[in-house]
Amino acid sequence: MSLATTPPSATVTPVRIPSLDIIRGLAVLGILVISIQEFGGFSVAEQNFYRVGTHGGNYKLLTLISVLFEGKMRALFALVFGAGIILFMQKKHPVPISGADAYIRRQFWLIIFGVVNAFIFLWPGDILFHYGVLGILLFAFWRLSPRALFIAGLVCTLVFCGKQYWNYSDDKKDYKKYLAVTSLEKKFKADSLTRARKDSSDRTMDTILLKDTLRKNKLADSLAKKNDTLTKKQAGEKGKWEGIVKGLKYDSASAKAEKKAMRNHHYGKIWDHLLERSQQRESSWLYRIGIWDIGGMMFLGMALLGMGFFHRKWAGSKYLIIALVCIAIGFLLAWWRIQQNNTRLIDYAKFVEKHSLPYDLFFPIERLLLAIGYASLVLGLLKASVFKWIWQGFAAIGRMAFTNYILQTLVCTFIFYGYGLGYFGRLQQWELYFIVIEIAIVQLIFSVLWQRYYNLGPVEWLWRSLVYRKWLPNKKKTESTV
Amino acid sequence: MDENNSNNPQAIVIPLEANEPPGRDGAGGTAPVSGADRIKSIDTIRGVALLGILMMNIPGFGINWDFWYTVTHSQRSGKDYYTFATVFVFFEGTMRGLFSMLFGAGMVLFMMNKKEIPGQPTVAEYYYRRLLWLVLFGLINAFVLLWPGDILFFYGLCGMLLFAFRKLKPKWLLVIALACVSIGIVKNQWGWNEFRTKRAAYTEAVDAKKEKKKLTEEQQGAITKWTQIEKNQKPDTATTNNNLRKMRSDYGTIFTYFIPRNANGEIQYMYHGLWDMLAMMFLGMALFAWGFFSNKLRTSTYALWLLAGYGIGIPMGWILFDKGWMSWASIGPSAFTDAWRSAPEIFAEFRRIPITIGHASLVMLIFRSRLVPWLMKALANVGQMAFTNYLMQSIICTWFFYGYGFGNYNKLRFHQLYYVVFSVWLFQLLFSTVWLRFFRFGPFEWLWRSLTYWKKQPMRK
Repeated sequence: MSLATTPPSATVTPVRIPSLDIIRGLAVLGILVISIQEFGGFSVAEQNFYRVGTHGGNYKLLTLISVLFEGKMRALFALVFGAGIILFMQKKHPVPISGADAYIRRQFWLIIFGVVNAFIFLWPGDILFHYGVLGILLFAFWRLSPRALFIAGLVCTLVFCGKQYWNYSDDKKDYKKYLAVTSLEKKFKADSLTRARKDSSDRTMDTILLKDTLRKNKLADSLAKKNDTLTKKQAGEKGKWEGIVKGLKYDSASAKAEKKAMRNHHYGKIWDHLLERSQQRESSWLYRIGIWDIGGMMFLGMALLGMGFFHRKWAGSKYLIIALVCIAIGFLLAWWRIQQNNTRLIDYAKFVEKHSLPYDLFFPIERLLLAIGYASLVLGLLKASVFKWIWQGFAAIGRMAFTNYILQTLVCTFIFYGYGLGYFGRLQQWELYFIVIEIAIVQLIFSVLWQRYYNLGPVEWLWRSLVYRKWLPNKKKTESTV
Repeated sequence: MDENNSNNPQAIVIPLEANEPPGRDGAGGTAPVSGADRIKSIDTIRGVALLGILMMNIPGFGINWDFWYTVTHSQRSGKDYYTFATVFVFFEGTMRGLFSMLFGAGMVLFMMNKKEIPGQPTVAEYYYRRLLWLVLFGLINAFVLLWPGDILFFYGLCGMLLFAFRKLKPKWLLVIALACVSIGIVKNQWGWNEFRTKRAAYTEAVDAKKEKKKLTEEQQGAITKWTQIEKNQKPDTATTNNNLRKMRSDYGTIFTYFIPRNANGEIQYMYHGLWDMLAMMFLGMALFAWGFFSNKLRTSTYALWLLAGYGIGIPMGWILFDKGWMSWASIGPSAFTDAWRSAPEIFAEFRRIPITIGHASLVMLIFRSRLVPWLMKALANVGQMAFTNYLMQSIICTWFFYGYGFGNYNKLRFHQLYYVVFSVWLFQLLFSTVWLRFFRFGPFEWLWRSLTYWKKQPMRK
């Protein structure tokens, strides 16, 4: 893929680093492994249902996917995106434009593509919007030394861990309040029972009227009167914890409602149904989690690029050792998380009582290690020049990552949503992965074929043309691309 | 800035000194090219906006929000009512609007007045660093100084978007500003429609009930929802008491109390409310490019803008106040919702922009008439130290009202709050004037600049 803009000197980094394309290709396909759950209606509640049940095949598959993929592929994607920031700032542009202008416009259009992906193609799991925003926030940092960027990445990751801990301690507080309210309630009940007994056995009343039935009625009356003495605040506190616990449980009624909503034939209805979810991800999630989740990995990507990691400048053994260590520790952390999560899901109240740390405390570190571990493994294998043909395939997909990402939305919404084929919630988890494999094959073929005739993927081309405000030529000029 | 080219910002070529970093924050270069009064005019308007903002913020600092209910439900007389009416007819939203416009203008200025130095970070990078610090200052203002009404956070983020539009022709900036207004209006109307749908569902359910039909679960829900909305109009004593107790406690309590409020505020307003800010910023960029703020238009033009702005805006402001907020209170949300197809806030935007322009024109006219030079000078000083003064308002007001300070929260009547406002104004006018006699920048401006350039800046004159 060569633009008309070859770098003028050897000191400037080349525009494309093949290893980045390969990792990006891997990440794009990997993201689908997780996204397909939401596309296909395999909800978190349903996953939780498998986690607390008998640990059969479904559970094993779920665990495998969670260890290998969950969060890691997005992390890998962000890592590569971060590296791309530095590369973009170093490159020459086909039209006279300052680097900052080109960069900011590029991010700006990415945000708009993200909005389209979320609100028109109806994919609430969109990340383009977030990458656009984060890219703008990180612009001011691109000149920092790799060391400083690395530290920034670690700080973000630690803040992310801190947030996990903070959320958990909020849950703990809610549980404490709940306990206080319920014990109060018990006390009310006991009090009112004695009071009621006293009332009903009051001998000053006409003794003839004191028939058993009447006595019972009075007892019930008195109970009802004295029982209902929780203040609004206390009731709210009780309800809050109950809501948290309920949220973890699989609820067939709400699952049914969700399926019904997503299988609706009208685009407008599904749009309505998903609107709030998409908005929440773009606002609240981004503010609370996304910045650290995505920002941390982008910083690391920027740092690693500066350190020559992606240029394969390091020794092959170094890559393999890093991969081994990172993946080993990452798997251990993942294993710990899953065990903890299972205990949590069985009885959250008990979990809160016994555990001082949340189950997902180390998740940010787990995904960081695994993302870097995977990248390192790929780079090490590349260095060893094995599986060459596979890498070429991933590189083809990675060069058109943006197109492929959007295509995944289009294909999956078509397959699963009601205005398409409506398979939402109709497939088993393992069946979903067949769809992933099929899409991966289609994307591989499509990407390879497309790049035989064109320089850029269609969406990449559109993006770039928008940034430069000029329709850039995209047709490959026969074989004479130098 | 060449006077002749003022209508075409792209043609503006700025002579610059080679020494970096030049320029006062957002207010022009160290050695302004054609006379200090042009920059002074921007500073003066900014000073007015900065002081004016406190008028809108003071209820947030000092009074429990049930005052709104009380004042709209009382007799239309008395000091509280007149103060309320004046503030909301003439000023609501306009000072923020003015501030936003000048922020947009300042953004263009910052980018224009700097020269690229090969091998050094570009001006754009300094610009983004500056905004990142602003975002951080905003977070500090909200979470540490405990002012949930902070705007710096949002300005910092909006500024990052404006960058991509800075070279556009003013005509296009105006179009974009109008587009932002329209998006805001559409979103608003959308929300109102949803609100009316709730009302319609309620009416339908009530009718069904009257006909003794069995209500569906949905209809039951519709009744509960709307009854709750009606109930929520009345301030809840438990909430009020809780708020008063919290606001009169120590720092730690208020700090914790405000965390969710600040976080939710920043999320909601950034995501749903940015159109309002962006519109004014784009408008400010356009007006700046036309020379409006730099005192370049003719007196008659400013007079015309003044008349048009106030002429359109103030009657609309009155209608909004009278037929909107007051009527909402007097006839209640149900009748109000039945009567109006659009929310009053829609008119708020149409009223806000003309009044804001009216205010700006008025200041410009006074400025060039040289009527009260000492006041204009003092206002320019306030404007030159706008960042410091803005943060200082948070510091003073939280100390005056919150429990860890003097604890005057909700102890003053609504109109009495404005005595506090006048005192702060007087203090800031004096303080800024004295400070700038000895120093080149306000203290927080100095800190901000030093952080942006990551180098201690000269401070003394």
